[in-house]
Amino acid sequence: MIDVRVRLTQFDSPMARLILARLLQAVAVLLIMSFAVYGLIGLMPGDPIDLMISADPGLTPADAARLKALYGLDQPLFQRWLHWLLSVASGDLGYSRLYAKPVSEVLGPAFFNTLMLLGSSFLLSMFVALPLGIWAAMRPNSPRDYLINLTAFAGISIPPFWLALMLIAVFAVLLGWLPAGGVGIGSDNGLGAVRYFVLPVATLTFASLGAHTRFMRGAMLEVLGEDYIRTARAKGVGPFRVVVYHALRNAMIPVVTILALEFGTLFSGALVTETVFAWPGMGRLIFDSIMGNDFNLALVALMLATAMTLVGSLLADLIYTWLDPRIRYE
Amino acid sequence: MRALLAFATIVAALAVTAHARQSDELVIGITQYPSTLHPNIDSMLAKTYVLAMVQRPFTVHDEDWTLQCLLCVSLPSLENGGAKLESLADGRRGVAVTYEIQPDARWGDGQPVSTRDVVFTWRIGRHPKSGVAAQELYRRILDIQVHGEKSFTLHQDRVTFDYAALGGFRLVPEHLERQPFERDPGQYRQRTLYEVNPTEPGLYFGPYRITETVRGSHVVLERNPTWYGKEPYFRRIVVRAIENTAALEANLLSGEIDYVAGELGLSLDQALAFDKRHGDRFRVVYKPGLVYEHIDLNLANPVLSDLRVRAALAHAIDRRAISEQLFAGKQPVAHSSVNPLDWIYDDSVPKLQYDPDKAEQLLRDAGWTKSPSGLLQGEDGQPLTIEFMTTAGNRSRELVQQVLQSQWRALGVDVRVRNEPARVFFGQTLTQRRFSGLAMYAWISAPESVPRTVLHSNEIPNSDNGWSGQNYMGYRNPEMDELLDAIELELDRDRRRLLWSRLQALYARDLPVIPLYFRANAYVTPKWLRGIVPTGHLDPSSLWVERWYRND
Amino acid sequence: MIVPTKAGKSIAMGVRRNRPAAIAALILVALAVACFAAPLISHLFGIDGGTVNLLARLEAPSFQHPLGTDELGRDLLIRLLEGGRVSLLTGAAGSCAAAFIGIILGIVSGYAGGRTDAALMRVTDGVIALPLLPLLIVLAAVDMTKVGLPEQFTTSESASLYRIILIIALFGWTTVARLVRAGALAVREREFVLAARALGSGPLRIMFRHVLPNVISPVIVATTLTAGNVILLESVLSFLGLGVQPPLASWGNMLSNAQELMWSAPALAMYPGTLIFLTVLAFNFLGDGLQQALDPRRRRIL
Repeated sequence: MIDVRVRLTQFDSPMARLILARLLQAVAVLLIMSFAVYGLIGLMPGDPIDLMISADPGLTPADAARLKALYGLDQPLFQRWLHWLLSVASGDLGYSRLYAKPVSEVLGPAFFNTLMLLGSSFLLSMFVALPLGIWAAMRPNSPRDYLINLTAFAGISIPPFWLALMLIAVFAVLLGWLPAGGVGIGSDNGLGAVRYFVLPVATLTFASLGAHTRFMRGAMLEVLGEDYIRTARAKGVGPFRVVVYHALRNAMIPVVTILALEFGTLFSGALVTETVFAWPGMGRLIFDSIMGNDFNLALVALMLATAMTLVGSLLADLIYTWLDPRIRYE
Repeated sequence: MRALLAFATIVAALAVTAHARQSDELVIGITQYPSTLHPNIDSMLAKTYVLAMVQRPFTVHDEDWTLQCLLCVSLPSLENGGAKLESLADGRRGVAVTYEIQPDARWGDGQPVSTRDVVFTWRIGRHPKSGVAAQELYRRILDIQVHGEKSFTLHQDRVTFDYAALGGFRLVPEHLERQPFERDPGQYRQRTLYEVNPTEPGLYFGPYRITETVRGSHVVLERNPTWYGKEPYFRRIVVRAIENTAALEANLLSGEIDYVAGELGLSLDQALAFDKRHGDRFRVVYKPGLVYEHIDLNLANPVLSDLRVRAALAHAIDRRAISEQLFAGKQPVAHSSVNPLDWIYDDSVPKLQYDPDKAEQLLRDAGWTKSPSGLLQGEDGQPLTIEFMTTAGNRSRELVQQVLQSQWRALGVDVRVRNEPARVFFGQTLTQRRFSGLAMYAWISAPESVPRTVLHSNEIPNSDNGWSGQNYMGYRNPEMDELLDAIELELDRDRRRLLWSRLQALYARDLPVIPLYFRANAYVTPKWLRGIVPTGHLDPSSLWVERWYRND
Repeated sequence: MIVPTKAGKSIAMGVRRNRPAAIAALILVALAVACFAAPLISHLFGIDGGTVNLLARLEAPSFQHPLGTDELGRDLLIRLLEGGRVSLLTGAAGSCAAAFIGIILGIVSGYAGGRTDAALMRVTDGVIALPLLPLLIVLAAVDMTKVGLPEQFTTSESASLYRIILIIALFGWTTVARLVRAGALAVREREFVLAARALGSGPLRIMFRHVLPNVISPVIVATTLTAGNVILLESVLSFLGLGVQPPLASWGNMLSNAQELMWSAPALAMYPGTLIFLTVLAFNFLGDGLQQALDPRRRRIL
């Protein structure tokens, strides 16, 4: 019992205060953000009813007025935002206007799809990029290093939709190995459903591979230049051992931090890849909800994305503190 | 290297497991996912397309653009006694129309499609809080008289020539939808089973029913055992939504989808290029239809209020060349909003010809002279500058727009392009008449649809009428107003045809709009898919889905 | 003002020593010269990039049209050069505007310290947390006259270009601001700054004469990298229909317009795609080289 209390008090000090401060800050950012987005969408011309009128010539002025009242659009913007905020605070996310469903029900599957897609490409990219970055850093300015750098920069520099279309052209159309887009239907299962993942994941992975490789290479190079590594080398430790046993831990600190930071952004979805591959994820959903003037859906989706980014950055800070004993928040 | 090898192995393994599609399955690609499936709440092309396979409207226009019964047994008319004129309490003339529902029509759960559903749908349609967007149709029906389970009479508050048309009246099942509606009509649009449980068999009575929906991706349809008509060939139909047309084409080539529907498919020049390369495997059918591409002129602009300037603009553009060169002649040039395929079309109405000399002359008459820089200017030296807007990101329109701009510039008119995303363009710029010059977009309509909302002077959007109406030009001509009123009420076809001729002549004379062409839809089918008949109007080809079949 | 000269010299030397960076710089200069000489070239060859000729659509390369013509019969070479001008301009103007805002905020934050610093850094954190693409979409559709921009801007044919630059400036400044702040914090207690303060220099003068030159190196690197990203971002916005609008050409809108014709006229997509790829690649290599030349100890800004 005593033991636990001691640990709690320890936790209570700077670290806990940091977390608390960051959480409060996150809430403030979210609040401001929600109002800003509400305002911005309000600045976008045409409300939902205007869009309906333009889509359906049969709507009369009476219809327009009735619908505006029905959707609460006859009230001023600030009041609508306040109303929205209060109902969100009470746990009611409201209904999506576009899909006539509770926002959470619309968001759920999209969130899941995005997580599956971006999560697997994130993991795959790390799996390939980290060894590649280390390998490049072990012999800087060698042909191997140049080649890896070139590949990395190529991944960063290619327009993503172009890459996606190229992959479709080669693997789906010319070779016919993989589906060109969409998700599996109910009767596809196991490998049948996995096939739909391959091309979008490959697109995203190639795009993020570059940045990850460069991070890892840079971090490793920096550590390999430190005195203690030189000492280890002088003592006759082999290059492989130096990297794995001496340098890796320190080199991982900035990399893990950046990865944690990036993890948060995964939840905004990948609009371009989702569009080309007809993947029903968050990116598309946010885009469609903004374009379709679906206030409730757009706001909640954006809030969710922002919140995840904030969580990611908090995570990054914590990992940083945890990994690097020299840093203490006072 | 090893990772690459592993990747290749996985790809190969996945390739081998490629799902072999059965021959009684059809995958259709369209560019839009229906956001809701309720038949009446709003209108959206993708929804109309999908619902056409699972439900049937009472009446439709067929491929020859004549009105037919689908859910009703025979078309009522004054001649056959199915419709009777009557006088209303306030002295106006109304009409009572009697329909007979198909005797064997049953919802997917076995319940008969009955007059209970008719009355219930009418109730929802008129309820101010039900969320049904366009209520005009339901309000025009004063009363419904029920004769047993399968027959009913509608009492309408006015007599228009299309009194027998009941296409917009889409039934919802009373036995399933009554409860969510009656519990709280204001919440109905969210509680309806079409939203809560769209795979409920009892919601559909067409040849197919919906068995799976994945929002933003696809809808799966399977044969409906209670369907009363011809047994459809395909056991299962998957409708996939792929918004990016380049990706849509790739999916077609890779065999992921079989057929791209013309209603929501490839752009025409994409289809033309596709046809050239893959004509051996696919058949491309072009159907020009009632999608009327045109340019609205803002008549409040003093420059454009001058008929001579409008005529000059119209004569300066070579619409035939655009149609020939860009669209391989598949999109007929429009001379008014009436399509040449419509029976009311009058070929004798003078047509606008490409005539740059005449255009120059007209502009000179209107007081615009060439300045040293080659641009036209007015008497006090102000340049002839006109803003030209359309929807950003619509490639076909942007191409046409650039051709038009260059042809007008050649004449000395400084035409400035300013495009906006569709959301902004339709949501505000057009509806609130914030475009200062030209606005290019399209109307889609049914055969012989009266352009009242577009041309009547009561339909000019303004803040007092809540920006409703589609007369974005601000066109006012009492003669046109009279014609519109008269056409709607004229029951005699021959007399009506004369009125339509006058309307077309007036349209060509006043030029409130520069007509461009009628858009053609491209239906890209594999060689083995037969039976699809494009309609070219608002009623999609999928209304006759049971006639589609495979023939290798 | 010794410092900037030294920096300038070391940039030139460092880049020269780094072969890929030197090649990248060469490519960028060549592209820029070619693009900005587009009017001259079109005058010399007697072709106007804007002339639509419906009878000469999608022609193969010929003497008259070295790269053939596009889907409206315009000379592809001239279109590409004009598009390049817009793309490079967007990249340069966007990244420079972002750097400008970043420098101001960073210097003020770092030099002033205390509450100003804390507040500005919180704002920076907030902006970093914003999901960028969705906001860009909202902003790209917002009616700019409602935000108070003059009519002249919003109705010109280049309005879409200004809009993109503005958006990038509004959201792209955070990296530079953080870099500058860190640098300013480091130099503000150094002897020469203290000396300048003792001699009675005002804070503005100190910031821009003494602090700025010492923190400019990482800013140059970051701005170079941003320029590449902006070009890429413009192509993505074009793909979504929110980029630079026709009749103005940009590599981004040429590429996304060509995707529908990618099977029948692959050249239309190949050229702008390759040019975007090459340019962004060059910016990345150049940024990398600059980084090594300017600041050998810090290798990971990217």
